[in-house]
Amino acid sequence: MIEIDHVSKNYNKGAVRAVDDLTLTVPPGEIFGFLGPNGAGKTTTIKMIVGILKPDGGTIRISGLDNKAEALRCKHMTAYVPDEPEIYERLKGIEYLNFMGDVYGVSGADRRDRIGHWLEAFELARAVTDPIQTYSHGMRQKIILIAALMVKPRVLVLDEPMVGLDPRSSHLLKEAMRKHCDSGGTLFFSTHIMEVAERLCDRIGIIHKGRLAACGTLAELRDQAKDKASLENIFLELTES
Amino acid sequence: MSPTAGLVKAALNSNFGWSVARHRLFVQKRDRWLIPLIALAVISVVPTLVLYVRLLSAAFDMLESLGQEKALLTLAILAGQLIILVFGLFYLISTFYFSRDLEYLVALPLKPSQIMLSKFAVVLINEYLTIAPLILPILIVYGFKKHGAPGYWILMPLTYLLLPVIPLAAAGLAVIGMMRLVNIGRKKDLLIILGSLVLIAAALFLQFGLSRAAQTSGPDAQKIMAIIASPDGLVQSIGRRFPPAIWVTSLLYDGLFTGPGFTGFVLFAGLSILLFGGLMIGAQRLFFGGLVGLSERSGGPGRRAKAAKKIRVTSGRHAVKAIFLREVRLMNRTPIFLLNGVLGALMVPVIFALALSSGKPGEDASDIMRLITSAKPVTAALAMTLFIVLCATLGGVASSSFSREGRKFWVSKVIPVDYRQQILAKFLHSMAIAGLGIVSATAVLVFRFHMDVEKWLPSLALALPVTAFLTCVNLAVDLARPLLDWISPQKAMKQNLNVLIAMLLDLGFLFLYGLAFVSLGKSGLSVPAVIGILFALSLGLAGLAYSLLLKFALQRYPSIEA
Repeated sequence: MIEIDHVSKNYNKGAVRAVDDLTLTVPPGEIFGFLGPNGAGKTTTIKMIVGILKPDGGTIRISGLDNKAEALRCKHMTAYVPDEPEIYERLKGIEYLNFMGDVYGVSGADRRDRIGHWLEAFELARAVTDPIQTYSHGMRQKIILIAALMVKPRVLVLDEPMVGLDPRSSHLLKEAMRKHCDSGGTLFFSTHIMEVAERLCDRIGIIHKGRLAACGTLAELRDQAKDKASLENIFLELTES
Repeated sequence: MSPTAGLVKAALNSNFGWSVARHRLFVQKRDRWLIPLIALAVISVVPTLVLYVRLLSAAFDMLESLGQEKALLTLAILAGQLIILVFGLFYLISTFYFSRDLEYLVALPLKPSQIMLSKFAVVLINEYLTIAPLILPILIVYGFKKHGAPGYWILMPLTYLLLPVIPLAAAGLAVIGMMRLVNIGRKKDLLIILGSLVLIAAALFLQFGLSRAAQTSGPDAQKIMAIIASPDGLVQSIGRRFPPAIWVTSLLYDGLFTGPGFTGFVLFAGLSILLFGGLMIGAQRLFFGGLVGLSERSGGPGRRAKAAKKIRVTSGRHAVKAIFLREVRLMNRTPIFLLNGVLGALMVPVIFALALSSGKPGEDASDIMRLITSAKPVTAALAMTLFIVLCATLGGVASSSFSREGRKFWVSKVIPVDYRQQILAKFLHSMAIAGLGIVSATAVLVFRFHMDVEKWLPSLALALPVTAFLTCVNLAVDLARPLLDWISPQKAMKQNLNVLIAMLLDLGFLFLYGLAFVSLGKSGLSVPAVIGILFALSLGLAGLAYSLLLKFALQRYPSIEA
């Protein structure tokens, strides 16, 4: 479960309010889609959830634990995939996976099974012994996703995970996301692809200028909007300046 | 603005981070604390500068009494160009081939020579800054002491601006030639490192040859008389192997509107233009050939199919060991980090040993060192300790430990590993590289200076805790303000302000350490007692520094925004 409670984040000594008094809860078993225009505060919120950024105010709890006071325990329960696949280019793919397995304490047997499974699924087995610097953008994205899925976290936080993935890998990822939540996990992800959000998410939050403009199931969002035709129309209506 | 001018402007802005600095200082209002820190660092250099100027003034007086004062100019030009040649090689390789912006630039409708020019401008400005503290005082002191005519003060800055062109363009030609040759096959990184070593060895050989040339004429009384008798004797003797130094000396000493001065100007400017033009033509033909493919995949599907069988899944590795291994791999596999860190630690003592070699019996540095160690054992122990510590710590490995992670620092923030364990892994890695410097420095003491074990062993014992202490200080400096947003690995290490700040702090501490050493030596205590006290003191300081570093990490890590 992720609980975000009155969280704020400012930049430039308060001149820019990236996230403004954000409150929302994502219960276990739910896929929560986080939408918003560029610069609305999606990535800032995600980075605060995983502990990369420090909120200026409010608290974030992961499975009931304060992610500031119990940072280490929260991190053990969380895996994160950033919007830019910036990883150690000089490591080989398998070395990166082993590194993540080591720091998350994934056992040898689990590691072998899961790495083997996901490498085959994402068709990366042949490239995994090559240095990451030789990978394409999509391959880098896949290796970060495999590392996140390998640790089987309770909470998965993904920042625009479909960018750069081919349709097959994108489909696989969506299946994995659903499976993760069906087995009791929590999933928080941001996307710009309305169809994905529409079809995949149990609930959707739309952030605009740092504030939560709307939050609920697709049906609830439709009820709130004047133009109920599609999520895209609802999004455009809510994020009009 | 023309595309070339725009590109050069963008490259300089990107390299020196003017826009970022303005944004941080005036928009984000961060980093303002750096202004007094930089001012303090500049002020702390003033006493050394005053000492240097006095030394130069005395050297000028001495040379003037022999009628050889213009040799000071020759020496400045020669030293400046040699420094540029050796340090420029690293800058050039890094800037020409490892900048992250190259893949975008290559795709733009720009000529290779335009890209090369923008990169050359970045290195050139860096070289002006690198040699300024050493060379500018010589040229200025000379001007004041000689009551230089107005022409000197016009020609001097122009000469300074042209000074790096010959060595940089020559090194640039060698680098693009080498990169075109090595950018074949799969082991490109290894070839780049080997190629760089060959270039460095060539530069060292040149330096060694020049120092030998300058020294061979030293002891012979007749030769000395002949040199002094001729007004150009010393100039010719110093600049014999590198004529541009003689041409510039003529230009500055005689002035532009004299026969020798004008000839010197034509030759110097002509060679600069020729080499620069050669570099641009070479760039047009060879630059893309060396560049394109550097980030290509290293094998076809056939090799990948074979590799798939060799997937090695490990398990049970402790987090500290895993992070230590990551640090080792990232350093050893990034040519610029490897050259500056590991190879730097190994080579600096060797370069030092080579620089002190005259090759003549009775005058060799090792004989002088042995004499000093017998006469003043405390001074010798201090000198050897400082030598080992400097070789171990001045490479910038610890003071760039966090910066080297760059934009991948987010990984360190999200992994479930206690920040104290991450610090331990980084400390161990920095100490391991420092250990290479210690081993190399000790080997130089033993094999080059033929020190007995009872002389070098206490210094080695003293150097270990001091190195541990300084490693903690250097890690703390980088942790306080890691430089994570860089486009060239060179920027994370050699052009990182943290490395400079850490170096100044290290030198400040070593100065105090030296004072304590000398004071204890004069207090009447025996040498073993002095060494014992300092060892215990250093060990205590190292322990304290490590514990403070851990506390600082707990406070600082969460605030670093990756």
